[in-house]
Amino acid sequence: MRQRLLMAFLLAGAAVVAPAAQAQDARLAARVPAEAVAPIDAIVRSAQDAGLPTEPLIDRALEGASKRASADLIVRAVERLAGELRAARDAMGQRSSAAEITAGASALRAGADPEALTALRERRGTQSLLVPVAVLADLVAVGVPADTAIAAVTVLAAGFDDAQYIAFRRNVERDIGLGASPVSAIGVRLEATTDAFTSAPTPSAPTPRKP
Amino acid sequence: MSERDRRLEEAITRLREPVDVDPALQERVMRAVRTTPAPRRWVRPVWAAAAWIRRPRTVRVSPLQGLAAAAVLAAVWVGVGVVRPGATPPGTPDLGVASAGNAVQFVIVAPDADAVALVGDFNDWRGDVTPMSRAEGNGVWSVTVPLEPGRYRYAFLVDGGLWVSDPSAPPAPDDEFERPGSVVTVGET
Repeated sequence: MRQRLLMAFLLAGAAVVAPAAQAQDARLAARVPAEAVAPIDAIVRSAQDAGLPTEPLIDRALEGASKRASADLIVRAVERLAGELRAARDAMGQRSSAAEITAGASALRAGADPEALTALRERRGTQSLLVPVAVLADLVAVGVPADTAIAAVTVLAAGFDDAQYIAFRRNVERDIGLGASPVSAIGVRLEATTDAFTSAPTPSAPTPRKP
Repeated sequence: MSERDRRLEEAITRLREPVDVDPALQERVMRAVRTTPAPRRWVRPVWAAAAWIRRPRTVRVSPLQGLAAAAVLAAVWVGVGVVRPGATPPGTPDLGVASAGNAVQFVIVAPDADAVALVGDFNDWRGDVTPMSRAEGNGVWSVTVPLEPGRYRYAFLVDGGLWVSDPSAPPAPDDEFERPGSVVTVGET
């Protein structure tokens, strides 16, 4: 309800100021429905002031325009993404790159909680979070329960490099494609991985839970 | 010694006696061998294979192996002879996450399409920026795009109006705009 009121306010305000307003990004004015330009521009400016990446917001608006979505739908999508970018940045830290924040927003959208992103940052140290967080979001997208995916990606964070994360995701998806359930697929691959790491001190594998 | 034993002993003794062999025997045998045509080599393996196929045998399969075999058979049944927009040609590497520093190749099979474009976060979702090329003689469309590290949403736009996701990449989650899409991530390291 609150969100709808805010949306109505933004659209109403846009109708008043639209003629005078100059969109910060020319792409918005050229492609997005006129009544959506000002609200989106306001969201983009707010994100910029907060130090968040703004290109993903523009991209989402352009995606909506390209898919001929309504102005209301586009504004709502951009606003939602802005909230996710902010939550991801807060969870992963102020020094996170734009790519990391964007991937973090995807993971939050997929069902990860901000605490999981924070835990990943702590485990990875100065290493980039982009690929682990993207793998987390991708695993959830192919049917792995969010808590299981979070546990797996977090367990692997200390010893895995990006290439190993990529291979891990591919193997899980391949097993799922061959008919294994997402939970059993990730359980088997995690077990194999942790067995390979037995010589190195790594945390024990989480027990997969039924969805 | 019984009569039976006596006859048996006599037979054994005769068999132990040296046999007179015609000195020309070896020559005659070898001549006969040379004049006999050699058997065709494939006949024996074919008969052996036929016999192997006909022979009943017990096969032990675990439930997981059975499931995998069923999945493969189902995939073959669905895939053979059916080429549809969105199918990935054999040998296409799966997308989703790519290593840094590599241009990313996007591929789709759309045999009936007149034009296919790649649209996504990397080209402002414009259908006129990244047209895909069709390989001669088949319906495989592809394009290679250099991408900076990041996570991108994208889709294929077939004939300017049909949105198709990439079957070799994870689906874009929760698409608010109700059109299929995919995601690709290019690593930073």
